Amino acid sequence: MIDMIAKEDPIISEEEAAQYDRQIRLWGLDAQKRLRGSRVLLVGLGGLGAEVAKNLILAGVKGLTMLDHEKVSQESCRAQFLVPVTAQGENRAQASLERAQYLNPMVEVRAQAERAEDQPDDFFLQFDAVCLTCCSRDLMVRVDQLCSKHNIKVFCGNVYGYYGYMFSDLGPDYNYVEEKPKMVKPSGDSNDGPKAKKAKVDPNETTMVKKTASFCSLKEALEVDWTTEKAKAGLKRTPVDYFLLHVLLKFRTDKGRDPAPQSSGEDGQLLRQIRDDVLESMGLNRELLSDDFVSYCFSEMAPVCAVVGGVLGQEVVKALSQRDAPHKNIFFFDGRKGNGVVDYFGPQ
Amino acid sequence: MVQLVGSLRKELAESLSTCRVLVVGAGGIGCELLKNLVLTGFKNIEVIDLDIIDVSNLNRQFLFQKKHVGKSKAQVAKESVLQFCPTANITAYHDSIMNPDYNVEFFRNFMLVMNALDNRAARNHVNRMCLAADIPLIESGTAGYLGQVTVIKKGLTECYECQPKPTQKTFPGCTIRNTPSEPIHCIVWAKYLFNQLFGEEDADQEVSPDTADPEASWNPAETEARAMASETDGDIKRVSTKEWARSTGYDPAKLFNKLFKDDIMYLLTMDKLWKKRKAPLPLDWHQLESQGRPQGEVKAVGLKDQQVLGVWGYCQLFQHSIESLRSELQAKGDGAELVWDKDDAPALDFVTAAANLRMHIFSMTMKSRFDIKSMAGNIIPAIATTNAIIAGLIVMEGLKVVSGELESCRTIFLNKHPNLRKKLLVPCVLDPPCANCYVCASRPEVTVKLNVLKTTVLALQDRILKERFGMVAPDVNIEDGKGTILISSEEGETDANNGKFLSDFGIRNGSRLQSDDFLQDYTLLINVLHAEDLEKDVEFEVVGDAPDKAPPPPSNQEDASSVANGNKDSAQPSTSHAPAEVDDVMIVESEGEEEEEEEASSSSVAAVPTSGTKRKHLDDETGEASVKRPRTNQSHDAADADDDDDDDDDDDDIIALD
Repeated sequence: MIDMIAKEDPIISEEEAAQYDRQIRLWGLDAQKRLRGSRVLLVGLGGLGAEVAKNLILAGVKGLTMLDHEKVSQESCRAQFLVPVTAQGENRAQASLERAQYLNPMVEVRAQAERAEDQPDDFFLQFDAVCLTCCSRDLMVRVDQLCSKHNIKVFCGNVYGYYGYMFSDLGPDYNYVEEKPKMVKPSGDSNDGPKAKKAKVDPNETTMVKKTASFCSLKEALEVDWTTEKAKAGLKRTPVDYFLLHVLLKFRTDKGRDPAPQSSGEDGQLLRQIRDDVLESMGLNRELLSDDFVSYCFSEMAPVCAVVGGVLGQEVVKALSQRDAPHKNIFFFDGRKGNGVVDYFGPQ
Repeated sequence: MVQLVGSLRKELAESLSTCRVLVVGAGGIGCELLKNLVLTGFKNIEVIDLDIIDVSNLNRQFLFQKKHVGKSKAQVAKESVLQFCPTANITAYHDSIMNPDYNVEFFRNFMLVMNALDNRAARNHVNRMCLAADIPLIESGTAGYLGQVTVIKKGLTECYECQPKPTQKTFPGCTIRNTPSEPIHCIVWAKYLFNQLFGEEDADQEVSPDTADPEASWNPAETEARAMASETDGDIKRVSTKEWARSTGYDPAKLFNKLFKDDIMYLLTMDKLWKKRKAPLPLDWHQLESQGRPQGEVKAVGLKDQQVLGVWGYCQLFQHSIESLRSELQAKGDGAELVWDKDDAPALDFVTAAANLRMHIFSMTMKSRFDIKSMAGNIIPAIATTNAIIAGLIVMEGLKVVSGELESCRTIFLNKHPNLRKKLLVPCVLDPPCANCYVCASRPEVTVKLNVLKTTVLALQDRILKERFGMVAPDVNIEDGKGTILISSEEGETDANNGKFLSDFGIRNGSRLQSDDFLQDYTLLINVLHAEDLEKDVEFEVVGDAPDKAPPPPSNQEDASSVANGNKDSAQPSTSHAPAEVDDVMIVESEGEEEEEEEASSSSVAAVPTSGTKRKHLDDETGEASVKRPRTNQSHDAADADDDDDDDDDDDDIIALD
C-alpha cells in the first residue's frame, strides 16, 4: 500500500521541502514520501499519546486518527499539552484535535470519541500502522493479532510514573533498507602509491543495503516460558522491567485503570500482591522485582512520556519509511536510573 | 505510602513550584524542554534566545507555527506554553546570553540552568557563568538521531571545558588554493571566493594559486626562492581580487576565465604538484558556451535542488548569481560588503556554481545544490523525536538536582541503535573536575607556543583569547613587574596596540600574560613559549593539546559523533564572518561503551572520554587493529571498568569516519 502511494505522488511541494528540509537531510526524500503516504491510528491521548501524536504529525504522515473514549480530567494540565485547560469533561481526543492540527496543517488529523474495544476489525485495517496506548493487555493482543495478519504495523506503549515501555510488531517478514558508506575499490593504478591500494571508504558516497527482520506477536512476547533451562540461564541478562510490565498490565486488567495517586495506598498494596502472584505463576522468585518500584509507577510523568514517546514515534517513522534497523522488540525506560534498553522477547 | 502529587513526592512537587530555572535557547531542544518543565510542575521559568523563527524550524520546534516565522523564538515559545499552562510564570528574553547584562548576579537567581544551545561559544560562556555563580548546569546536545545530556556542578564534576573538544577541521591553504582532492575543499574555496569578491576580504582566504606551496618545489632551494618571490610579489601585486573584479564590472565571463582557465593553467606550470596527482583541466567560457546544450525537461521526481546539472548549467548559474550579487552590492552603495548566508539564494547559487566548476576541473563528481547547501552551510539534520528524548532526560536530571541528589546525576548518551549491552540510553557516572582544566582549576594556567615576532596583539585577542579560550571581553596585562596593560576590554582604549607585535612589548620566551574576563569571573595565566618553527598556516599551539586532528565534517549522519559543538571551530563567533549556521549539536557518542553504575567505583572515576574518542576506546578494549577514528585531543584516564562485553560487534554498525 505504501509503495503504491509513493509512486503515485512523486512530487514534493516547495512548502514541504522547506518545512521538512532538516529531516529530509537525515532520512532522505524517499522516506519522507513514504511517510507522506501513510495513515496511522493512535489510541489513547494521555501524556504518552500526545507525545506520539506530536512526533508523527511533525514528521509529516498523511493522516493521523486519534481515538480515545476518556474524558479530560483535572490532571490534564499536568498530563498533556494538546488539551486546553478549559476542556475539562470533554473527550480527550476531540479536545486535542485543534492543537494537534496546528502542529502541521499538511497532515489530516482526525479525532474519534470512541472505545477501541468497540471498533470492528475493519476499522483497524484502513491504517498502515496502529499505535496503542492506555490499552488493556487483551485489547492489545487482539488488535496485534488482527493487524499483523494484514501486514499492518503494530506498536504498543505506556507510561507508569517513572517507567515506560514500547513494543513493536512489524510482522514475520519485515523488509527495510540501511544506508551504508560505499567502499571504493582500489584502482590498481601504480602511480597512486601505497595508500590507494587499500579499499577505502568513500565518505561521500553511500549505498542502500536491503535487510530483513522478523517479529513475533505481543502474545508470544508476553508469554515467554521462564521455567525452561535456557530461559533461566538468560534471566540474569533480562531487564527486570519486563516483569514490572507484567505486573502493571495485570493491574490494569484487574482494576480497569493504571495506578492512581488518589488511591496510592491501596493501589500500592495491590501492586505488591500482583507482583507476588505474577512472579509465582511464572515460576520465579518474588525477589526478582523488589518493592521499590511501587512508589514510582503512579500517573504519567511528562518527561518520561517525552522519552518513550520519542522512541516510539521514531520507531513508527522508521517502520513507515522502511528505513533503518527497527528496535526488536521491546524498549524499556527506567526514569530513575536513566536506563533505556531494548530486548527481544518471544520465540527464537 | 508516600504522599504523591501526580508522579512526584509531595516535597519535590513543592520545590518545583517555588524554584526558578533558566533555559538558554528556545529552539529544537528548548521548545521540548519548556513543555516538559511546565508539565512536570516547574512554575518559574526564564528563557532566552537571540534568534527568530525560520520555516525550517517547523519540523521540530513545535511551539512555533508558520504564522510565527520571523518572530522572536523566546517570545513565541512563552506564548505557546501559556496556552496550555496559563499558570506558568515565564519570562522571555529576545537577547544573547553573552550580553553583559546577564552577569553572575543574574545567574545566581536560579536554582538550575539548562542549556539548549547550538554553538560552542555560548556553551563555553554559560559554563563559566555557572561556575562563577556556582549554579548547577545541565548541558545537552543533539545531532540527527544522536544526543546526550550531562550535569555540571562546580567542584563536583567536570566542567564543559575540562576535556578539550575537537575543533572544526580546517584545511591547509595550499590544499584549498592548489591541490583540492575532495568536494569540501572546493566548497571552502568557493566560500572564500565569495568573500573576496563580494564580502569582507580576508588574507587567510586567498583563492589564487599559492606560489609558495612547498609541495611545488623540486628542492629546498626552490622552496626558499618561491617563498621569497611570493612575499616580495606583494609590492607589485595586482590590486585585490575585489578591486580587479570591480574593474571588469564583475563580468562573469572574465571572472570565469581568470578563475577556471588562467589560474588553472598557472597551476599546471607547477608541474611537481601533478606528478602524482591527476592534473586539473582548465575550462574556457566561450568553448563551453558553444558546446552547451539546454538542460532539457528535467522531470522533478525529486527535489529540484537535488538535481545535478551539467557543466554549462553551472556556468549559467555562475553568471546569473554574479549578476544578482553584483546588483545587490551596487544597491548597498560604496564600500558595501555582503555576508554569505546559506539561505540567501544567489549567495548559495554562487557557491554551488563555483564549487562545482572547480570540482569538475579537478575531476571530482559534481554535487547538487542540496548537498552543497549542507556542506557549505554546516547544516545539522534534526528531527523532533531526538530532541524530545533529550529534553525528557534533561528534566529527569533536573529533578535530581532540585532534590539535592547530585550524586545520582548522570551523563546519558542516546544511541541510534542499542549497544552490546542492549542499551539505547546509556547512563554514565559523572567525571570529577580535571585538575589542570584551564577554566575550572583553581588557578588556571596554560602554555601557548607562538612566534612573538609575528603575532600581533589583535591576533592574541581575537584568535587566542576569544576563539580558542572562549573569552568574550578580555583584559590582558603582562607580568613584567610593571603590570603593563596589553589589551583592555574598554572599547578603543588599547586599539593602538592592535597592529603591534608581542615582541614590541618586550614579550619573549617565558613571558607570562594575565588574561581576565570580568564578566565570566575568569582569569587565565598564559605562559608564552616562543617558537619560530611552527607549521605553515599555524598561528599558535596550545601545549598539551594533541595535534589538532578533528574528524572531517560528517556526510553520513550516523557519524554525528564527529560533529563539533556548533559549526565554527572558534569559541567566539568571528566578527568578520556571518554567524555560522547553527543547529542543536554537541559532541555526541555513537555506539558508546558505558560505565555500568554498579561497576564504577565511587572514588576514582574511570574516565569514559566524553568527546570523540569512545569509538577509539572500544577499539582499545577489544584490541581491534584498525583505528576507526582519528585520535582527537583527549587524554585518556584509567581503563574503562566495563569488561565483560562480547566483542561480537556487528561490524556493519561501526562506520569508519575517514
